[in-house]
Amino acid sequence: MSGRNESLRKTAEWSATVGRHPELRDVPDRVPDAEEAAVTLRGVSVRRESFTLGPLDLSIPAGMVTAIVGSNGSGKSTLMRLLLRMEPFEGEAAVLGQQLTPASDIPLRERIGFVSELPHAYENGLTADEKARFASLWYPGWSWDRYERLMHSLEADRTKKLGKLSKGMRRKAELAVAMSHDPELLLLDEPSSGLDPSAWKTLLEELTRFMDRGDRTLIFATHITEEVRRLADYVLFMHRGRCLGLYEKDRLFEDWRVFAVQRADGAVGRDDAAQLLKSAPGVQGAQASGPGICKLESDAPEETEAYCLSAGYRILSSQRMELEEIMGCLVRKGDAAR
Amino acid sequence: MWIPVHIDETRPEPLYHQVEVQLRSLILSGRLAEGTLLPSIREFAADLRCSAITVRRVYQDLENEGLLRTRQGTGTFVAGIDQSARDGYRLERVVEAFERAVETGLQLECTREEMERIWQEAYERKLAETKAEAEKGEGS
Repeated sequence: MSGRNESLRKTAEWSATVGRHPELRDVPDRVPDAEEAAVTLRGVSVRRESFTLGPLDLSIPAGMVTAIVGSNGSGKSTLMRLLLRMEPFEGEAAVLGQQLTPASDIPLRERIGFVSELPHAYENGLTADEKARFASLWYPGWSWDRYERLMHSLEADRTKKLGKLSKGMRRKAELAVAMSHDPELLLLDEPSSGLDPSAWKTLLEELTRFMDRGDRTLIFATHITEEVRRLADYVLFMHRGRCLGLYEKDRLFEDWRVFAVQRADGAVGRDDAAQLLKSAPGVQGAQASGPGICKLESDAPEETEAYCLSAGYRILSSQRMELEEIMGCLVRKGDAAR
Repeated sequence: MWIPVHIDETRPEPLYHQVEVQLRSLILSGRLAEGTLLPSIREFAADLRCSAITVRRVYQDLENEGLLRTRQGTGTFVAGIDQSARDGYRLERVVEAFERAVETGLQLECTREEMERIWQEAYERKLAETKAEAEKGEGS
C-alpha cells in the first residue's frame, strides 16, 4: 500500500473518531469539529536536486497537537517550511482554511508562529528585545504582556545579542517571540534542541497552556519520544520524503504490541518459530530471542495472540511498543511497499 | 490539581478505559468530593501522557453518567452523587478486583482448589493483620 493511501485511511479514521462526539461543542475547552483541518495537502510535492518531498495527501486536525517524527532527512523541516510557503511546491495546500498563494502570505503569517530548526544568522546582532520590537510591528495580535510573561517563565536573556547566546538560551528567546502574538497555528521545528531539562519542562508547560483554550493548533517536529508522549494527540511519521501515516497517539500505542511466545509443548529444538510466525496475522516483525522464545511485533495484537495460541504457542509476555520500535516497523512496511 | 490515576501499560485495556475506571472509582468512593474542579482536558492529558482525545472521551462518558458536570467557561466538576449509586459501586469494584485475580490465576494455570486455598489464606492473613494494626493503634 502506498503512503498516500495509508495517510488517507488514517485521516478518515480520525474523522470518524472525532465525528462521534458532536455534543463536545459545549465543553469549555472544546475541540473543533472533524471538518476543521489546520493543514490540508493534496498531491503536494517539493522537488529539489537531491531530495523530493511527497507527493503528500494529508489533513492535520485543528485544535490538536501533532508531532512529526522521522529520521534526519525525512522531510520534516521541508514540510514545515512548505506550510509557510518558504519552499516552492506543486499541488494544493491550505493552511487555516486559506489556500497557499502569494496573496495569502501576509494574512496567513499573522496567524502563525514559527521557530525554525536553525536560527537566522542575520538576527545575530539583535537582542531578544530588539527582535521582539521588530516582530511587534508585523503582528496585529502582538502582546508585550505575553512576551514579558514568556521571557520570564522561560528565563530567557533579553539584553545580550542573540549571536552571543548559547543555543538553548537563544532558543528560549525565539520561542517567546514566536508565541507572543498568540498565533492560531504554532509550528516548531525541534523546539527543545539545546534546552536544559528545567527549561524543557517549562517549555512543555507553556505549550500545554497555549493549547488549553482548545482553539489553537500545534505542529512540531521532534526526535524526542518523551515530547511525543507528553504533548502530542497525533503522530505523523515521515520517511524519505514520504508520509508513513498520521495516527491518533493513544490508538497507536494500543494497536501495537510486542509478544514473547514459546511452544507450549516445550519443544525447544524447534527453533524456527520466528520463521513460522513471521506471516501470522498482524505480525510486522518476528525474531528469535532466546531458547525456543520468539519476539513478535504486531499491529493487530488480538489476532496475533489468537493465532499463536491456536498454533500451539503460549504467550510469555505482552507489552506496548516504544515509538521508535513502531516507527521501525512502519519504515520496513513502507520500504517493502515501494 | 493532580489526580491520582495510574496507567498500566502492560494491561490490554485501552487507555481511555483505564483512566475512566479509575476516575469513576475516585468519584464514587468519595475520594474526589462533590464540587471538585478537575484539571482541564489539556492539563490532564499532559499529566497522564495521553492525548487530549482520550481525556475528552473520559470526561464526556462520566458526564453522561451524571458523575461530572461541565460549566461553560469554568471547567469540569465532580457532580453530587446519591448514596445508592455509591453502594452499588462498592461491590462492583470488589468483583472487578477478584476477576482480575482469577484471570492471573488462570494464566498461571492454578486449579480451582489452589485458588480457593489462596483466597482463604489471604483473607485470614489480612483479617489478622487488620486486627493487629487496630490493637497496636489502641495500645499506643
